[in-house]
Amino acid sequence: MANSDNLKSEAILDQMKKHLATDAGKTLAKKIGLVYQFRIAPKKLGFDEVVYTVDLKKGEVIKGPYEGGKPDSTFSFKDEDFVKISLGKLNPQIAFMRGAMKIKGSLSAAQKFTPDIFPKPAKL
Amino acid sequence: MAMRDLVLGSTSCPDPSASSSSNNPLGALANALVGSSSKTQERLKEIPTSTPTGPAFQFYSQPSNELPGSELDKPFFDANSQGPEFLNRFRSAGGVGGELEGAWNEIQHDGRVSQHPSSQLDHLYHRGPGPQLHQPPLDGTPQRVLSSFLHSFLDSGRGGVPFHPAPVPLLGLSEGDKQCIRDRSSIMARHLFADKSEEFIDAQVNALLCSLDIDSNIRGKGHMPERFRELNDYWNESQGNLRLGAPAADGWITEYSQHRQQYDNPDSWANSFEQQHGANGWVSEFEHSQLSSVDQMRGMNMSNLAAMEQTRMLANTLGGDPKFQNSKFLQFVSKMSRGELIIDDNQVKENALPASGDWASEYQQQYNHGHSWAGEFLNDKVSRGPDQWVNEFTTGGQQVEPVDDQWVNDFSKLHVDDWADEFGQQMGEGVFGEDSSEHWAHAYDEYLNEQVASRKVSDGSRGVYVFSDLNPYVGHPNPLKEGQDLFRKGLLSEAVLALEAEVMKNPENAEGWRLLGIAHAENDDDQQAIAAMMRAQEADPTNLEVLLALGVSHTNELEQASALKYLYGWLHHHQKYGTLTPPEMPDSLYYADVSRLFKEAAQLSPDDADVHIVLGVLYNLSREYDKAIASFEQALKLKPQDYSLWNKLGATQANSVQSADAIMAYQQALDLKPNYVRAWANMGISYANQGMYEESIRYYVRALAMNPKAENAWQYLRISLSCASRNDLLDACDSRNVDLLQKEFPL
Repeated sequence: MANSDNLKSEAILDQMKKHLATDAGKTLAKKIGLVYQFRIAPKKLGFDEVVYTVDLKKGEVIKGPYEGGKPDSTFSFKDEDFVKISLGKLNPQIAFMRGAMKIKGSLSAAQKFTPDIFPKPAKL
Repeated sequence: MAMRDLVLGSTSCPDPSASSSSNNPLGALANALVGSSSKTQERLKEIPTSTPTGPAFQFYSQPSNELPGSELDKPFFDANSQGPEFLNRFRSAGGVGGELEGAWNEIQHDGRVSQHPSSQLDHLYHRGPGPQLHQPPLDGTPQRVLSSFLHSFLDSGRGGVPFHPAPVPLLGLSEGDKQCIRDRSSIMARHLFADKSEEFIDAQVNALLCSLDIDSNIRGKGHMPERFRELNDYWNESQGNLRLGAPAADGWITEYSQHRQQYDNPDSWANSFEQQHGANGWVSEFEHSQLSSVDQMRGMNMSNLAAMEQTRMLANTLGGDPKFQNSKFLQFVSKMSRGELIIDDNQVKENALPASGDWASEYQQQYNHGHSWAGEFLNDKVSRGPDQWVNEFTTGGQQVEPVDDQWVNDFSKLHVDDWADEFGQQMGEGVFGEDSSEHWAHAYDEYLNEQVASRKVSDGSRGVYVFSDLNPYVGHPNPLKEGQDLFRKGLLSEAVLALEAEVMKNPENAEGWRLLGIAHAENDDDQQAIAAMMRAQEADPTNLEVLLALGVSHTNELEQASALKYLYGWLHHHQKYGTLTPPEMPDSLYYADVSRLFKEAAQLSPDDADVHIVLGVLYNLSREYDKAIASFEQALKLKPQDYSLWNKLGATQANSVQSADAIMAYQQALDLKPNYVRAWANMGISYANQGMYEESIRYYVRALAMNPKAENAWQYLRISLSCASRNDLLDACDSRNVDLLQKEFPL
């Protein structure tokens, strides 16, 4: 349900969830085969984080931490920045260099995190 | 011949296909020296045993008085374990001041990137563009300089203009950085300049690398014998001086004449050389700093760990090699101190000193015809009569060819094979690492694009409308009517201009602003649409179309709270449904309440298409796409000719992953309005989301051909291009070259 507390990122992750059920999504999951965990903060990095798991092994998006063990990489960012990255407005490497994105876990897994894994929202 | 190989190898690009022997001045010189010339037997013997004498080198050991920066030669090498002293003197002499010092310190202490990138670094990135003074203190934040530098490289490439090897500050590049840049730039250059000649490409790349003080080869990390190292210094210095030399050949000759008195006395040269190279203190500090930055680099450049390890070892071995920091770096300092370099709008530029332009083009010319350089040089010398050295040298050399060979063989025996292996190995890694280095080069490039874009976006997000710079409709007697006509004809970008003229003339004209907002929305620019619509709302707070448009645009921008507010406002101000809402605007809106009110409204008058449309938007907001689709379909029964409604239906279907249906709906919209940029862009999105990247590119390009200002489409196009493995066109994308893209991807 949408209310003012909602994260913009959720819209994208929601679409991601549906996307992973499609053929293109399945291909993507097969190609990457990693589990990412996103910690998304509404305003300030590290505060009031909402955790999402994008499981590109099974092809699922779950709200909450990964339960199948350790995610390959965990990213932290602000809601705004996550949206920018997933829409290709912000390069992940730049986000990382600027401190707008933090990474834990495998760095080589993290490098596969690129804007093209996200479906793009169409505009009304 | 091994010597030649060595020299050629050491100046050629890492790309094996780019054997630059034909346009490599050093190579040509090597040819001249090794092939046909030689020195006196005595001297040749001395070279491998480190009592160098050759007159050719002698004057380089003396700091030339002609170069204001060259007094730094001394502190540079003479730093008897005085690394810090060198730095101090560099700071004070280079006119760099505390900023570079700060940057340097930051690199050293904070790391370019750490696991927790410091806020300082963040701060660095957020700094505004460089000061635009005529001769400002060089703001030497390495990343910034590098990024703008790479950018200017790209720019020059686009224009087909030879890239001027403008020196840049000490960037603190680690070997890893250098390798990345080196690999990437040669690869990139081949992509960029596919239509250009090899010579051009090599010249570009070499100029870039030269400026960045990156040796354009991959240095063997094998143990270079001391002699070779020194010899290499001479090469580099002579090469460097050439690059620098304002009057390249003439300068040399002048210098040569100045010093020719001394070269009868080999000892003096040897002494001064020892003086310069005697110290290892600086070297070890440099090694240390290299190691630490390599370590930091590892954190950054994740996929490339193996290569990084290799590089670290390389840095370890080569850190002690003074030639990394030799003449090219000094060139920069001296150039800067002479004010030939300025920082203008975030780019290191050459100041418009007449000399610098001259030398750059002269240099470029020489570089392009590099193979003839040596010959030219020789002729030059000869034609200048008094200097007989060249002749001496040539004839002398002919007499002692055996020794010449011996000397070369010495080299071969010692390490040439190792070195060649090393080179091959590095090449292999370079290929593996290509991906990541590519990313980094992109990253720098994109960072700049992003800065430009974000300036615009941040203006837009504050709701400030950004007017076009040049507007032919200013002064038009009736721009509103003109704008309406253009809008009806589907010429959206023209309509925008006309309507901008209208609202500049009549800032309170709600209709002007509203239509402008709609034109922007149809042109796929929601930020501008929102800005225009907000002005329209100021002028006419109860206009339902404005409120709906604002609701839609905010929905597109995922701004749920704002969207909800405007959609509620629509209901609230509606003649018929306003009564459903409480007279006072509630402090906080809840989606459930608003949605309930709209459902009531829909029940009240099921034949009102508008209420279904708003309801559809509302369901999009809550991502109840099935309901949204039903609402839009209902509305379409009532308004089948509404192209924007078809697009809304399509977008909703796309977002609920029914891409095939979406494409049908978009097609309907486009049949009704062929210039509907948003629908074209949405088509592209649908294809991209289905993994049909080639198709998506065609649609994005079509949209962009109609409105090159559609930022989103450019970003999506970029993603699709890289997904479709069309990296060769990324540059066309970054340079907003619609024509080229259209030619490549006709629809």
